[in-house]
Amino acid sequence: MSALAIQNIHKRYGEVETLKGIDIDLESGEFLVLLGSSGCGKSTLLNIIAGLAEPTGGDIRIGERSILGAHPKDRDIAMVFQSYALYPNMSVARNIGFGLEMRKVPPAEREKAVKETAKLLQIENLLARKPSQLSGGQRQRVAIGRALVRNPQVFLFDEPLSNLDAKLRMEMRTELKRLHQMLKTTVVYVTHDQIEAMTLATRIAVMRDGRIEQLGTPEEIYDRPATLYVAGFVGSPPMNILDATVSKEQLLILGDDQPIDMPVHFRSVVADGQRVKVGIRPEALRVAKGGETGAQFKARIEVVELTGPELVTTARIGEQRITACLPPRSAVTAGEDRTFVVDVDVLHLFDPQSGRSLATD
Amino acid sequence: MERQSPLFTVFVYAAALLLAAIILAPVLWLFVMSISSAADLSTKPLNWWPNEIDLSRYRLLLSTIENSAGASFTASLLNSLKVAGMATLAAIAVAVPAAWAVSRTSQISWSLYAVIATYMLPPVALAVPLYMGLAYLGLLNSVFGLALVYLTILAPFTTWLLKSGFDSIPKEIESAAMIDGARLDQILRIITLPLAAPVMATSALFAFLLAWDEFFYALLFTSDLRAKTLTVAISDLAGGRVSDYGLIATAGVLAALPPVLIGLVMQRALISGLTSGGVKG
Repeated sequence: MSALAIQNIHKRYGEVETLKGIDIDLESGEFLVLLGSSGCGKSTLLNIIAGLAEPTGGDIRIGERSILGAHPKDRDIAMVFQSYALYPNMSVARNIGFGLEMRKVPPAEREKAVKETAKLLQIENLLARKPSQLSGGQRQRVAIGRALVRNPQVFLFDEPLSNLDAKLRMEMRTELKRLHQMLKTTVVYVTHDQIEAMTLATRIAVMRDGRIEQLGTPEEIYDRPATLYVAGFVGSPPMNILDATVSKEQLLILGDDQPIDMPVHFRSVVADGQRVKVGIRPEALRVAKGGETGAQFKARIEVVELTGPELVTTARIGEQRITACLPPRSAVTAGEDRTFVVDVDVLHLFDPQSGRSLATD
Repeated sequence: MERQSPLFTVFVYAAALLLAAIILAPVLWLFVMSISSAADLSTKPLNWWPNEIDLSRYRLLLSTIENSAGASFTASLLNSLKVAGMATLAAIAVAVPAAWAVSRTSQISWSLYAVIATYMLPPVALAVPLYMGLAYLGLLNSVFGLALVYLTILAPFTTWLLKSGFDSIPKEIESAAMIDGARLDQILRIITLPLAAPVMATSALFAFLLAWDEFFYALLFTSDLRAKTLTVAISDLAGGRVSDYGLIATAGVLAALPPVLIGLVMQRALISGLTSGGVKG
């Protein structure tokens, strides 16, 4: 039985259609991340699940029950907001227990639940404080505690980490993962941060212009992006996209005179002379030392940036730029011509018109 | 700026003192006038500080002997308190739900602008219809009638102020409470209104001052001790053949006291209200 079913959801604001038919089926215990840049409709979808907005068409079911038209409090959901949305005039304990208070849970039971939740989130010592006396990370924990304490069917997170600084964001990310592994709850999580999506999700829905571009596990999204958009959105630095033409079962990258081999499974789907876009992950590229097998091409190195764990190298093939993430001690210097090598199997091919992957599964 | 030249510091203090002097000088002069004897007030050159302190006018205005100047002054003081108090309470009661609705529903914000537009009309434009309306309702020369008229002035003003107050309270806090299971009345009572308390206090104070200082409608719609307010009573003091400027000054000092006292009491709430927007989630 699916824990949450989103069926053909449409949302229209006057002339503007922000959601154009969304279908997602979530199993119990899944961690779904809605990933997309701002304005793609991911927050609208979350608000529709929460009951803060009503869809123009479609249905949402939790368990066996359609929840459309139900008041947010009757949907058995809890939500964590980007701005935390804590009640500033109440203590942390009352903030966490407010949902139980409103549901007329007896005070003794409530206090016990609040204590347990606080212990889980390591904020027991903060229970008497007001939100204004807390740091950003502590506030975020309280907001999560407020959702956890009610033990709902589905948790909704609306960019919960984007107000935190980088270090804290990583800590809280791990914390969220730990909580999900421990509690095995169903989560819908909205973010524009692809690293959050990759690390937290059991499935990712990449959204764009009110549609789902691709729905799949993090591995599928990363290893087999369905479209150019997904390929460019997930991964940091993003995937290199190069113009190329098919020539006798080989690929000729624009600006390079040496054709490279084409992955076997693409040979049947492309025609000779067809223009394609070739996708290469920066981390798949290596500098040729001689004697390698795989696709090789020459490029002139333009910029070399050491980030610590890797050397981000930008190079040029004719007019096309390409980024490679090399080991930190690679001996490359700006200005020289080097041969790069990449395993043929990890090349991606996309149709330049539709932007869709040419891979057939 | 960490480093400032001494000259700059002197300039800053001089500017502050000048501002204080400009604001406080009339008040101080009012007080000096109220305790000066009539002779001191009319000598040439003027005595800036009275030769002897004369408190007789305070005694006169605060006396409760029937039919005295004091009785009529204290009656008008009481009327002013009643009218301004009632109008303020009613205005807040009307403005809180209206401001909240306008703040949370951007589609109807035009209605507030429409109301504010009527606020731009000069009072004299409305004087005749208001007079006829009050006469029809039998509310001329009544504190209730005057409070009703003041409500029409105060309600748009307080709604406007409160709307910006509610705007600064994130909508998400109310959404969170909704998901937590709070009913609308609980959301308002437990969360929104306590957060809006400072701006509500500010609005109430400004509304009270506005009603307290109003003169034009009070002059038109009241005629005797039953409803006459302070501003009218003070102008009456100036209206005789012989004007005792000291007496007018004394009435002015006494009229200024209630709002000042309220302001002092509400000072803390007032300051946080004026700097609202500091509400953090």
